[in-house]
Amino acid sequence: MLLTVLAGIPLTISVTAVALVIGTIGSLPLLFGILSGNRLVWLIARGIIDLCRGIPIVVWMFILFYGVTIGGTKLSAFGAAVLGLGIVSAAYLAEIFRGAISSVAAGQYEAARALGMTPRAVWGDIVGPQAWRVAIPGYTTYGIGLLKDSSIASTIGVAEMVFRSNSYARTTGEGITVFLVAAAIYVIVSVPVGVLSRKADEKLSAVVAR
Amino acid sequence: MTFFTDAAAFLPVLLNGLQVSAILTLLSLLFGLPLAGVLAFGIMSKNRVARLIAIAIVEVGRGAPALVLLQLMYFGLPDVGITLSALASATVALTWTTAAYCAEYLRGGLSAVPAGEIEGSQALGMTTADTLRYIIIPQGWRIALPSLMGFAVILFQATSLAYTVTVQEMMSQAYSLGASTFKYLTVFVLAGLLYAVISIPATWLSVLLEKRMARHL
Amino acid sequence: MIENPQDRLPGRREVVRVRNLAKSFGENTVLSDVNLTVLEGTVTAMIGPSGAGKSTVLRCMNLLERPDSGTIEIDGHVIDAERRFSNRELFALRRSAGMVFQHFNLFPHMTVLRNVSLPQQRVLGRSKGEADERAMALLTRMGLADKGEQYPNRCSGGQQQRIAIARALALDPKVMLFDEPTSALDPEVGLEVLEVMKELAASGMTMIVVTHEMSFARSVSEDLIVMADGGIIEQGDPKRIMAEPSHPRTQEFLRAVLQR
Repeated sequence: MLLTVLAGIPLTISVTAVALVIGTIGSLPLLFGILSGNRLVWLIARGIIDLCRGIPIVVWMFILFYGVTIGGTKLSAFGAAVLGLGIVSAAYLAEIFRGAISSVAAGQYEAARALGMTPRAVWGDIVGPQAWRVAIPGYTTYGIGLLKDSSIASTIGVAEMVFRSNSYARTTGEGITVFLVAAAIYVIVSVPVGVLSRKADEKLSAVVAR
Repeated sequence: MTFFTDAAAFLPVLLNGLQVSAILTLLSLLFGLPLAGVLAFGIMSKNRVARLIAIAIVEVGRGAPALVLLQLMYFGLPDVGITLSALASATVALTWTTAAYCAEYLRGGLSAVPAGEIEGSQALGMTTADTLRYIIIPQGWRIALPSLMGFAVILFQATSLAYTVTVQEMMSQAYSLGASTFKYLTVFVLAGLLYAVISIPATWLSVLLEKRMARHL
Repeated sequence: MIENPQDRLPGRREVVRVRNLAKSFGENTVLSDVNLTVLEGTVTAMIGPSGAGKSTVLRCMNLLERPDSGTIEIDGHVIDAERRFSNRELFALRRSAGMVFQHFNLFPHMTVLRNVSLPQQRVLGRSKGEADERAMALLTRMGLADKGEQYPNRCSGGQQQRIAIARALALDPKVMLFDEPTSALDPEVGLEVLEVMKELAASGMTMIVVTHEMSFARSVSEDLIVMADGGIIEQGDPKRIMAEPSHPRTQEFLRAVLQR
């Protein structure tokens, strides 16, 4: 039984990883869009982000899996799953990155520009590295969230952990243990991250509150 | 324009499902939020046992995917002699998720109240209970409110997973419409737009609220 | 040189007694063997370089900071840091001392009036009507009669600090503790706070003021305490200490601040 669940881990991980890559790449044009000074570009990027986040992941997957044919062929379940997760991730990640960039103090841009640095250097050497450091916790948390969301791929037949647990429960008629095991695996992965972020939060608030 | 004629035919059925989605969302918030308050104080409690229990409930609720909790409640609980209706088991599962996430938001809000104000209250000779009641809770709750609203949107979207445990919400209606008409694209796009029409303005509202709060506090 | 204020200002009751106060944070000793006495109706100023432990002494006096050892007595309420004490004793001590912080620490979610009246209701059990009346009277005395319905963040720093003073006074404390009340304010705004403090001193309030305002220390206070490195190095007549400090650290400190 345990093996049944564990056998789903490789697909759980690959769905998560591929979706994270798609989401990260997809977030970049959206990020430029919402940082743009051009109102039209901003509006379009804003609209895409809102729409991507406004539709539940399972709906995206169903649209892609059941509704979309490219050149007469349907997307595979895996393809629909990672694309669906990737679309939603791109929108969330763009927001995470935007938040990080806007957290870099305006004085940093001014100082860099006053030193005569090119825009490329301002972003690449000054703002980018600082923003990235700010974005890491949010990015990590989102990655763990994505691992959990990858379970939704089971609804279109990707044989990851939850799918296997579900079929085990259906064939044997015994559901409680297998789902507890599956839950435990997800919890084991996410607890260290939760504890770490709480620790970091406490440290930060201890510094800030004083 | 077959999309629009089909959509017009599908819409009433989907709206019926949407009602169930909304009911499931509200029930989960109704039970989940008070529980979240209790858990938030549990996490901050000086009592080790209370703290560990609260942390365990929160970590499992946040760590396990909502989909797994849904299936656990619906397919798993009957094994130990507890059989709930589809809606009841979905409510239990999503209440757990709600309580766990919102407990963290509330804890974050409560601990964001500046230490100086707590000292100010202590220096006035106010009791710990009064400091909590008049200084920490009113402000902590307001600080947490935008996150709680943001979560409510995510919860509403997560109710779409309840179709896997046969709750007759919007996704399940969409799926059966799709299966009987083979117009999957139309029906799922329509369902997606209905989710978006509610989620997007609700998200704007929570962002607006956050900005207003930032100005006043 | 450490003078007992009783020698210079005889016949006054000792309203604050701190004995053998010690406090360390981990390895870092912040206070060691601090003793001080404050007489009723006098203003005691505490000066010294930053990190000397002035604020910590003040914060230990109402147990915002728990001392490692020593006793604190305010208006007959005694707490021995090494013994267990009840919440009742703790609150009794805190109620006898009003505290004013460097950063005001007003409650931002309440109106100015509520800031001043709520503690009266909760701590002294006054009725809302009674508390509001007293709050208005104090705000009027502070020149803030028209600010009652505003929120603190809409008030200037000087106004906020005067509200904080009113909030503390409303509980009828025996002693007022001021922890660098003007340090977060622009110099001219600080003046309006110092005016209020002078008026309070003239009315006979017992005050302990941690400050960097040398002219306030010289002209308003009747007793001056100089701290350095977690201890009191000099205590006595402010004018005498300012004119001819006896401890080399005091000389060094006064030279640094007065020559600026």
